[in-house]
Amino acid sequence: MRALVIVGHGSHLNEDSSLPVYEHAGRIRETGEFDEVVECFWKEEPSMRHVLDTVESEEVYVVPAFISEGYFTQQVIPRELGLRGPVSRKGMKTVRYAGPLGNFEGMPDVILERTDDLMRAREVSGRTALVLLGHGTDLNKNSGGVVYLNAGRIRERGIYDLVEVGFLDQTPEIGRVVDGVEAENVILIPLFIAEGWHTRETIPEDLGLTGGVTVRDEKTIYYGAPVGTHPSMANLIAARARETMMEQHLV
Amino acid sequence: MSEARSRRPEFENVAAGSREAFAAWVDGAPDGRVFGQVITRPAKPFGYSLRHTDDARAAGLRVSEDPRAAREIAKLTEGGDYRPLKSSPNLRRGWEIRVADARGLVTAMNYLYPAGVVHWYLNREGRLDLTSFRENAARQSGIYKRVQRLSDEGVQGAVLACCEDAVCLKKTLWDIDEDTPLEVDRGEGEIPCPEPCSIFVSFARRVRLFEREKDVDGLSPSEREDLSALIEAAATGEVGFAREAEFEQPLNERRMRYRRLTLVPKLRRNG
Repeated sequence: MRALVIVGHGSHLNEDSSLPVYEHAGRIRETGEFDEVVECFWKEEPSMRHVLDTVESEEVYVVPAFISEGYFTQQVIPRELGLRGPVSRKGMKTVRYAGPLGNFEGMPDVILERTDDLMRAREVSGRTALVLLGHGTDLNKNSGGVVYLNAGRIRERGIYDLVEVGFLDQTPEIGRVVDGVEAENVILIPLFIAEGWHTRETIPEDLGLTGGVTVRDEKTIYYGAPVGTHPSMANLIAARARETMMEQHLV
Repeated sequence: MSEARSRRPEFENVAAGSREAFAAWVDGAPDGRVFGQVITRPAKPFGYSLRHTDDARAAGLRVSEDPRAAREIAKLTEGGDYRPLKSSPNLRRGWEIRVADARGLVTAMNYLYPAGVVHWYLNREGRLDLTSFRENAARQSGIYKRVQRLSDEGVQGAVLACCEDAVCLKKTLWDIDEDTPLEVDRGEGEIPCPEPCSIFVSFARRVRLFEREKDVDGLSPSEREDLSALIEAAATGEVGFAREAEFEQPLNERRMRYRRLTLVPKLRRNG
């Protein structure tokens, strides 16, 4: 039997954080590709410490529902699940640990699906810029690196006049990027897993957004939902697990 | 978890074993078994029925045949507040889940009390691995690393405030360390708690921050803050509590339970 374990951050304070993990798990369950699809969290139950005891399958694929490589994917998740590398034996189980979602090759497609959903049936004129918004931190360069990586991959496709990046907690700061970008239309997509305090409060406040569409200073800003809540993320999670299977066959 | 203490056969499928054992346990009690705030019983012809214990004989419940409906049921309290700790005694009422078989039963239970069934099974078999507070603290990093410095007295106080049956229905089985047992009522329920949970670690961090404060004129700054907030709130005629795991806010129930242990005796003594 084959199990997929999706690891989310979760929250002690609100239910929004874990919702995409549950929804993507439900979508993957319906495909029947895995015998079991199980959710676990850092801050909610079941915890990573105990989730593997609830899994009956011998073949277990762990996919972190995190955008960036960093503290959680490299330190917290392996430690809490008791993993020793990409493949760990735990009793009768073989546990394969996939990387985060943001640097996976399918990620630009999910971002573009999000922008398509946002811009469908809207007529725009003039130059259009896609701005990818990351959390970022000066403590870990990988956190921002994944935003640049996706911007570069989308830029290569030549769909938008400009593809830029901006951050909340590192430079370039998102407010300056949006103000400075030379385009009449700005599509702003948060590279976040879930809706929450940042996407609902700090980002709209900091940027002076009045809703999904804000017109100001001869610019129209289209503010999208976080990429992590898009239904296509479920396919990306399953593909991430599938890739881990392929890698192991190669080994 | 220390390897030496592990008594679990390495190659047992404990998830499958716990499913069978739990179903057999429920099958053995036609009047139902109580697990947390849930009563579950064999119910012909469909398999098993799960309800809130206070609804054991109620009529007109909202019936679902999907075991995963348990997730939505477990998510919010009756008043619509988020439940970050599923073993808090605030499961809402008014529902029944009917499942076809043991697999559905355990799926529903794992949303109502995550990992509860497998821990129940391992504990019953005498094979549940326990992790002490100090072992758990030793692996913490980032903002939680400071719980390593929490005193033994602080751990006892945090457990009394955070883990008693009044606020968590699990039976606290872990100790401070191998030589220092918890001196608390460990709880009456069926669901074992083998290790400090993330809610507890977050609360322990808050208690450690309290420990580091210095008293000025007999009270610490946060004690003063909490008393002021309580008086201000009560003076409006309605004390609005902070969210369940919002330990940074003065009017949090567990924070107030900790104050009852530590601040009230201090006030009485000084008075």
